[in-house]
Amino acid sequence: MMSVQERVSLFLEGTRRRRRDIVTPEGVTLPVEIATFGERATAFVLDVALWLGASIVLVLLLLLVAGPLLRLKGALAILAGALLLATFIIRNFYFIHFELAWRGATPGKRAVGLRVIDRGGGPLRPAAIVARNLTREIEAFLPLSLLLTLGGAGGAGPWGRLSLLAWLLLFALLPLFNRERLRAGDLIGGTLVVALPRRVLLADLVDKALDHRFTERQLAAYGAFELQILEELLRRPEGLETGRARREVCDRICRRIGWPAPVPDAEVERFLRDFYAAERAWLEREQLFGRLHADKSGSDAEPPPR
Amino acid sequence: MSALQLKSREFRKTREAGWRELERLVDRVEKRGVPALSADELERLPLLYRAALSSLSVARSIALDRNLLLYLESLAFRAFLAVYGPRAGVLASAASFLRRDFPAAVRAARWHLLVAVLAALAGGVAGFMLVSLDEAWFSALVPAGVAGGRGAASTRQQLLDGEIFAPWPGPLRSFALAANFLLSHNTLVGITTFALGLAGGVPTVLLLAYQGLILGAFIALHADRGLAVDFLGWVAIHGVTELTAVLLCGAAGLVLAETVLFPGRYGRLDSLALRGRGAAQIAIGAVLLFFVAAILEGGFRQLVASTELRFAVAGVTAALWLAYFLFAGRKRR
Repeated sequence: MMSVQERVSLFLEGTRRRRRDIVTPEGVTLPVEIATFGERATAFVLDVALWLGASIVLVLLLLLVAGPLLRLKGALAILAGALLLATFIIRNFYFIHFELAWRGATPGKRAVGLRVIDRGGGPLRPAAIVARNLTREIEAFLPLSLLLTLGGAGGAGPWGRLSLLAWLLLFALLPLFNRERLRAGDLIGGTLVVALPRRVLLADLVDKALDHRFTERQLAAYGAFELQILEELLRRPEGLETGRARREVCDRICRRIGWPAPVPDAEVERFLRDFYAAERAWLEREQLFGRLHADKSGSDAEPPPR
Repeated sequence: MSALQLKSREFRKTREAGWRELERLVDRVEKRGVPALSADELERLPLLYRAALSSLSVARSIALDRNLLLYLESLAFRAFLAVYGPRAGVLASAASFLRRDFPAAVRAARWHLLVAVLAALAGGVAGFMLVSLDEAWFSALVPAGVAGGRGAASTRQQLLDGEIFAPWPGPLRSFALAANFLLSHNTLVGITTFALGLAGGVPTVLLLAYQGLILGAFIALHADRGLAVDFLGWVAIHGVTELTAVLLCGAAGLVLAETVLFPGRYGRLDSLALRGRGAAQIAIGAVLLFFVAAILEGGFRQLVASTELRFAVAGVTAALWLAYFLFAGRKRR
């Protein structure tokens, strides 16, 4: 069964992200959102673009320095070898350095808002970062460079190329075949890539004394789910549409709880705020006594995670 | 009318300053890293983090303010990343890897290494016997790319001049050979051997045996022409390192295979995370060994045109590797 919070998210956002709970070393459960395949692909493309840019700059510098040497016999093969080695070192340094220094984020991941964490919730070890990034060599870069350097050791004709393609595809699509979107490097390193939402703490909606009073019977008409939907409505920026939605919600509440007098337009926000405050106070008190009202149908919510 | 008594509101009032302070610290860590914090702030960070965690626990039981709960969850998670992020840089990690993790991982996989050695040995013996019986086997066993024109038709002189004591190709050409190590046949075989461990280990064992088979076939070919000792010297100067690397890759693949086939007390994914790290460390170290082997092969081998000297170099490297894997990083952390 979903928690109230998840139900509200589902209701408001329409879709649900894959989530997973990690337990911090202090024993507190933290829900994390698993990064989607698209986000990870975007981050990877950004990183590869940055790495390629750096490599191209390096090649130009190399050509500038070693230009006259190019006329020597066999110099092209040497240049290719040097390039291969240099790009190998640059890309591994790039990924490993940033994931270490930026605590689990490369520039690409940071731009998309992703982080690498330990799957069990423990500290992220350097060994795990090294393992997950060097596995990427096997997953993508080695077969790619083999495909691109036709001939070489992999020049095994169309079948060889086909099997390289299959290899690439298999590893690239592996995240789609498990719930947590793990690629081979994550499997071996014991890591998980999550999205990192930044939330802002807004002012508490309960601030002033109340103008309206509600009886316990009236407050019992709703539960935590409706309360949090109302909270979202009250936090919405003012506007014509918000005003109309509030009017409608206000009318519905009045009907349900049997509010005697009609609420004038100018009073709607005040009324809803007061109702929110009174409802929250009542529900929180009930929760303290162990009575959880999940929603208006009166079903009990799951106990909150510790 | 009187204000409502809201526990969650009072709670927020007393704790909010701490959350805001933590948020500012975490913001700075995310932007500029831990070094951006002063010593005082560095001391405050874990305290504030634990306070935020306890706030979250309390809020979950007393508050129904969705914004507050989401904010605390996100703040606690961001602070968690700041507190438990890796503290070492690239160089320090590399140093600790070479000094401690790699040899320790190899020692932990010693039985897997033994299996890998046996598989390669069995292949080697089979290859030697087959080619000794009938040299037609050579072209059947050894792929053309590896044979490089050598085969049943090669004469003793051809092998001596074209292979064992071929002239040194010069510094540039040797460098190119060494730099291409990543795409060299043996590195690819090694890495494939490791990765196929995920498929249950049978392909790993077969690949190892096949590598042994090829080597055995080569030895038989040269032995027939009275070149066994010279050929062994020619191979051993870099082969000691390279063969070790192949065997290490095989051992790492077998570690993976064991976790996949017999995950033990935990689920497959969890045991893979537990033991896969060690296996990956071995494979990574093996790539370094391949690089060393490529330097020895590309630059050094043809420069040392004497079988005795080649054996000496091979012996020294063997002793060095043995000492490294047996004794490096043994001390307590």
